[in-house]
Amino acid sequence: MQQHEIHRFLERYFIANECEMVEKNFSYMKVQLTIELDKVLMNRPFYWHYQEKTGAPPNPMALTLVTGQQHPPDGKGEFIHFGSPRLHQIFSSAKKLASFIRMYESVPRQGAHHIPLSPWLCLNVKVSYRCDRKKDMILSYGLHLINGEIQSQFHDRLKTLLLTKRIPDFCYTLSPLIKPVSGIKRIENVITEYIEQDDHSWAADARLRWKEDEDLLESFYEGESDKPESYHVEKEALKTQYDPAVSVEIINGGLFYLQ
Amino acid sequence: MNTPIQFQRDWHDEFLKRIEDDGPWANWELYNLALEAESHTCSPDFLGLQSPNHLPHMTFLPHQLNVAKTVIEEMNGKAILADEVGLGKTIEAGLILKEYMIRGLAKKVLILVPASLVIQWEQELNQKFFIPAVAQRKSYVWEQCEVVVSSIDTAKRSPHRDIVLNQDYDIVVIDEAHKLKNKRTKNYEFVQLLKKKFCLLLTATPVQNRVEEIFNLVTLLKPGHLGNQENFDKDFRNDRHSLKNEEKLKQLVNKVMVRNRREETGLKWPKRIVKTIPIQLSESERNLYDSISELKSEPYFQRSKFAVLTLLREVCSSREAAFITLRNMLQKLENSPYAQQLIASQMKKVELVTQNSKAMKALELIQSIDSKVIIFTEYRATQLYLQWFLQQNGISSVPFRGGFKRSKKDWMTHLFKNHAQVLIATEAGGEGINLQFCQNIINYDLPWNPMRIEQRIGRVHRIGQQGDVYIYNFATENTIEEHILNLLYNKINLFESVIGELDEILTKFEMKNIENYISDILASSESEGEIRLKMDNLASLINLEGGIQRKGWEEHAAARDSSLS
Repeated sequence: MQQHEIHRFLERYFIANECEMVEKNFSYMKVQLTIELDKVLMNRPFYWHYQEKTGAPPNPMALTLVTGQQHPPDGKGEFIHFGSPRLHQIFSSAKKLASFIRMYESVPRQGAHHIPLSPWLCLNVKVSYRCDRKKDMILSYGLHLINGEIQSQFHDRLKTLLLTKRIPDFCYTLSPLIKPVSGIKRIENVITEYIEQDDHSWAADARLRWKEDEDLLESFYEGESDKPESYHVEKEALKTQYDPAVSVEIINGGLFYLQ
Repeated sequence: MNTPIQFQRDWHDEFLKRIEDDGPWANWELYNLALEAESHTCSPDFLGLQSPNHLPHMTFLPHQLNVAKTVIEEMNGKAILADEVGLGKTIEAGLILKEYMIRGLAKKVLILVPASLVIQWEQELNQKFFIPAVAQRKSYVWEQCEVVVSSIDTAKRSPHRDIVLNQDYDIVVIDEAHKLKNKRTKNYEFVQLLKKKFCLLLTATPVQNRVEEIFNLVTLLKPGHLGNQENFDKDFRNDRHSLKNEEKLKQLVNKVMVRNRREETGLKWPKRIVKTIPIQLSESERNLYDSISELKSEPYFQRSKFAVLTLLREVCSSREAAFITLRNMLQKLENSPYAQQLIASQMKKVELVTQNSKAMKALELIQSIDSKVIIFTEYRATQLYLQWFLQQNGISSVPFRGGFKRSKKDWMTHLFKNHAQVLIATEAGGEGINLQFCQNIINYDLPWNPMRIEQRIGRVHRIGQQGDVYIYNFATENTIEEHILNLLYNKINLFESVIGELDEILTKFEMKNIENYISDILASSESEGEIRLKMDNLASLINLEGGIQRKGWEEHAAARDSSLS
């Protein structure tokens, strides 16, 4: 992630969270946090507890973030780069604040007709292959909650549409036939299928490495009928080190009503 | 064989609840940002390093990146990091740690280091790697903090021991791992019982000569890698000290050990330019030296020859240093009027000393150098005197002692860098104090332990040093100092060899207490000739038995010569 990408990301993040930009240029930004975002980012629960108890006027902090060479005139500000803990805190807060969504396609009015919108369930997931190494990929699926059609890379499609929070005038939503619970289940099945068809030599290789180390361990304690504790500790450790597994985690998802 | 797939399902319930409650729903922009953030932090490939992208403020050297990659991709995260001193083993360990943490393969981390390095590790991991390491101070830290730095002695002691052995560690890092070479020790057994997925053992001196030790170290990391004791003895051991099938053993060891040597890294090391500065004692100083020398033959001091030696060394440094020792002796000798009288007369002679020839030489040198200088002395009294003396002559200096707290050391370093020309140190200042902005060292007096000289020079002669390093060794003529300098400099070429090599040789031949050898020679020899002979023997012992290493030195020297031409 380049510095200008980080800069753009931060800008969008604070605007999306309705924070006021007090000062900004290409290299830094000073942001007045909202009460909500202060609680998320500034890690001062005692202050907020105290404020709520006493009813004192709330005083959320302002945050100055620097992404380029130029610093604000007062010289203050946190330098943000890809590894900085602040950025990763912001990353994970975005995930927490935006796990669930419901949106409608913004359809231009076409005469006096009422326009039906179909319900879709979308899940964005992170699939991780892990052994002593790890690889992640992000998948996005959309399920038509009436006819059961499933589309991959669904989020990319959504990004091309104009979406709004409220249902547009002259639009109405069709009732889903598939319940969200079973919709999730259907998408899980598709993901399972996708994973099973993928190349799993990585897991086979990990098992080989595991076996090699375990054979060495066995040979080391060979002939000892009563194996010492260190043997069991090491054996268990090898399992946690190598045993290949796949995990699927939902990043975010929700309901989309589309034309 | 099918790989099990785990779905994390905690998202579901909350989602259904939001449908029920008709919200709250996220805004579209933030929803997109969350997804983008995730795509930035995920690892698209099993191989390769993500960590350097997270640490743009650090410049990693090619060999350090290589080590991290090798350890993760070829050694599966279990390795002995054995680079020569000064090549950045801590950095390599930090990189590997960071990589596993970024990939979510490590959360719970234990770092065991010598007690004196705990704070430094904590700071480096936090500042250089943004790894929230915590020094263990309270016992709840073991369970509640994810990355803990502690000394092994604390960790293995009750009540900590049981708590620590109960944790499932993803990575255990052990600094100065060569201390774990003996499998019958409590430390060894403790490390063996730690539950650990990945493990890094850091050592600068993987002791190859002692068959036993390399076997124990590798076995700690990967039991069975070198077979069990019985197989190992059969396959590789000739007798207690020598090996057979050495090539095969080396290959096996290299599967779990990475070792970079300075020459191989292609790093340009600054040159060391060593100058001996002979100093003639003034008449009053000479009188004092000779008179204390004579104490050696006094029957009363037969049993305290070492004390006399110490006095002689102090006289070579400053009359202040000698005076304090004499005063202490006087107090201890209360029940022996004769000895008291002897000492008192020495103290009179101290008072007769009118100048400090060495200090004058130092002043002259500092004035001619006209840039930063570090003066190392063995004695605090000399340190104080020098500070006063330089001050009298308009030169500002800052003191530095091993006993300073870390924050004070950092502050003194800062003062020296920005405000003073001279730093006067009684000790090398410990690991991690980097003074590479300075190019001149005066060894005002010489420690008898060559390792300490290495540490002194190592503060300045390291990666990051831009210019050549000048080392000035002061030696008072016709004193014990001359013998020491002859041995260390002329005979074993100490000053020009590079850090690490000497350490290896001394470890190899168990000559860590070389200091005692030297005092022994100086104290028990009857004549100058005998001293010279014995010192020669010691030098050739080090040189001869250093066999392979000495070849390394010569190559190094040759390289140095060619770089000169």
